[in-house]
Amino acid sequence: MLQIQNLTKRYGKFLALNDLNLHIEKGEIFGFVGPNGAGKTTTMRIVCGLLKATSGTVYVDGVNALTHPDDIKRKVGYVPDFFGVYDNLKVMEYMEFYGSMYGMEKQDVDEIAEGLLELVNLSDKKDVFVDTLSRGMKQRLCVARALIHNPDLLVLDEPNSGLDPRARFEMKEVLKNLGAMGKTIIISSHILPELAEMCTSIGIMERGKLIVSGRVEEIMNRTHGSQPLHIRAFTPDYEDAEEGRQYLSTLLKEQPKVSKVTFTEEEALVSFGGDDMEAAELLKRLVEKNILVSNYYREKEDLESLFLEITGGVQG
Amino acid sequence: MKKKLRMNPILRKELMVGSRSIKMSFAIMGINAFLAFIVLIVMVTTNLSSTYGGYDYSALSYLFPVLGCIECGLISLIVPIITSGSISGERERQTLDIMLTTPVSPFSIALGKLQSAMMVVMMYMITSVPVMAIAFVLGGMSWGALFGLFAMLLSIGIYVGSVGVFCSSVVKKSVLATILTIVIGLSIIFVTFTILTAGISMKAYQDEIMKAQQFQLGAIPMIMFLNPYSGFVDFLIRTMSSYDLYTLIEEAGDVDLPAVYGVIYKAWIPISVVVNLLVSVGFLKLASLKIAATRNKKRK
Ligand SMILES: Nc1ncnc2c1ncn2[C@@H]1O[C@H](COP(=O)(O)OP(=O)(O)OP(=O)(O)O)[C@@H](O)[C@H]1O
Ligand SMILES: [Mg+2]
Repeated sequence: MLQIQNLTKRYGKFLALNDLNLHIEKGEIFGFVGPNGAGKTTTMRIVCGLLKATSGTVYVDGVNALTHPDDIKRKVGYVPDFFGVYDNLKVMEYMEFYGSMYGMEKQDVDEIAEGLLELVNLSDKKDVFVDTLSRGMKQRLCVARALIHNPDLLVLDEPNSGLDPRARFEMKEVLKNLGAMGKTIIISSHILPELAEMCTSIGIMERGKLIVSGRVEEIMNRTHGSQPLHIRAFTPDYEDAEEGRQYLSTLLKEQPKVSKVTFTEEEALVSFGGDDMEAAELLKRLVEKNILVSNYYREKEDLESLFLEITGGVQG
Repeated sequence: MKKKLRMNPILRKELMVGSRSIKMSFAIMGINAFLAFIVLIVMVTTNLSSTYGGYDYSALSYLFPVLGCIECGLISLIVPIITSGSISGERERQTLDIMLTTPVSPFSIALGKLQSAMMVVMMYMITSVPVMAIAFVLGGMSWGALFGLFAMLLSIGIYVGSVGVFCSSVVKKSVLATILTIVIGLSIIFVTFTILTAGISMKAYQDEIMKAQQFQLGAIPMIMFLNPYSGFVDFLIRTMSSYDLYTLIEEAGDVDLPAVYGVIYKAWIPISVVVNLLVSVGFLKLASLKIAATRNKKRK
C-alpha cells in the first residue's frame, strides 16, 4: 500500500529524513513513533504530497507520490498535527465543503457524511457550528473529513495530542473501527502503550531514520530478555552484607546467560539472556546455594521502555 | 467522464459564510447610506442655488462622476481589505494545509478567493442601484451609463482584488497584506501616471521651448493600459463630454500618429478591461505559485 524507499529530506543543511525505508501493507494500522523532531511529520507530509522530498521514492498504491501529487490526493486522507476550522460553518456544511473540494455532488456528500459522522460519534452535532466543538470533537470531525473521499490510506499526525483520557478513548474506538473496515492507517504518536493496543505494526524513528519496524508482537519478541531480572536475596551464610553481596555477585556471574550484575539498595539487577524456563532454573540454583530469595521478577516489557531504550532516552 | 460546470467550492463556501456575517450587511448598508447622504446634500444645495422656481434636475447629472469616483474609491478600499486576508487568513487559521491535500489547485484557491470578493463588490453595486438610479436617471443619464460604470468598477475590482490575493499569499499577516496591496496599487498608479506626464512634459518642452517638434509621444500613453483606472477615466470622459482619451492625446500634440494608434486609443475601454483581466490572471498565477510553495515553508 505504502512503499517508501531511500527517502531523504533536507531543510537547507539540516537532514530531517535520512534514507528512510518503510513498507506498509494494505489493511495495516501502522504506528509511527519517535521523539520530537524525529521526522514523523515530515514523512507524513511528503506522503500526502504537501512537501517535496530531496530524494527517494514514495509509492501509494502503486502511484508515485512525488511525481504525481495530484493523483495521490484522491488516495490519501490527512489529519494534520495542527489544524483549524472555519467559523460560521456547521458540521454538515464543513463536510459538504470538503466534499465539494473533491468534486463530489451535494447529495453524495450528505449521504457519506452522515455515515462518517456516525462513525466518529458526532451524529448529534450535525447542525452545530464547528468552531464551538471541543478539541476532541474537532479531532474526530477532522478524521471524518479526511475520509470524505473514501481514501485508501489515512494519515493521522498525532490525533491524540491535547485530548483528555475520555477523548483519547473515543478516538481510539474510532480508529479501531476504521481498522476493522480495512483501511490502511498511519498514526504518529508519542504515547506508545496506546499505539500498541490499536496498531498492527510499529515503526520507531529517530533522527530521520527508522530504527525498528515490524509487527507489534515481533517487536516485543525481539526485545525479549532485554529487561533485567530483579532479585532481592539474602545470604544467611554471611554476617557482613557486603561480603554476601560479593558472594551473590560472583555466583550469579558464573551462571549461564548472565552477562552483567549490578546492585541497587535492595536488589540485584541481572542482565539475563535466557527465557522464562531458564530464569526459573537460575532461581533453583540460587536456592540450592542457600540464598534466600524474596523477590524474583523480570520487569514487564512494554513499548515505553523499549522506546526509551532504543532511542537512548533522548527527548527533544 | 461527465464534466459539469460547477461553482468554485471556495466561492460557494465563502458565500454561505458571508451571508451569515452581520458585519458585511452593516458595511454595505453603511456605504449606501453614505451615498444616499451625498445625493441628498447635492439635491438640497443645488435646489437652494437654483435660480428657477422649479427643481433643476440637470444639476444632478454632475453627480455621475462624483458618485462614480466615490464608488470607485470605496471599491479600491474594500477589495484590498477583503482579499488581503484571503490566503493569509487560511494560513493563520491553519486550514490551508488541509485545502492543499484536496485536488483543488492552488490557482482555483486563489481564483475562488477573488470571486468571493467580487461577489461582495457586486452585491454592494446592486444594492446601490436605487440611490445611483435616482441621481442618474433623474439627472438625465441612461441606464446604460450606469451599467457601464458598474462594469468598469468591476474590472478595477478584479485587478485590485488579484493584487490583494497575491499579497495575501506572500505576506503572513493579513494587516500587512492589506497595506502591501494598497502600496502596490498606488505604485502602479503612480508609475504609469509619472511616465505619461513625463512624456507629455517632454513633448511640451520640445514643442514650446525648443520648437523642435521632433519628440513624439508615440506609444507612451499606452503605459496607462496597465493602470487599472484608465478605462474608468476614459469612460467618465466619454460619458460626461464629447471627448475621449484619443482626442485628448491628439490635442497633446501628436499629429501624425500611425493610424493603428488611433484604432487602439478609440478602443481604450475594451482594451483596458482586457488588460485588467490579463494582469489579474497574472497576479493570481503568482499567488498560486506562492500558495504551492508554502508546502515547503516552515509551519507555525
Ligand atoms: N520547514 C522546515 N524547515 C526547517 N526545518 C524543519 C522544517 N520542518 C521540520 N524541520 C525540522 O525537521 C525535523 C523533523 O521535524 P518533524 O516535524 O518531521 O518531526 P516530528 O517527528 O514530527 O516531531 P514532533 O514529534 O515534534 O511532531 C525537526 O528537527 C524540525 O526542526
Ligand atoms: Mg510531528
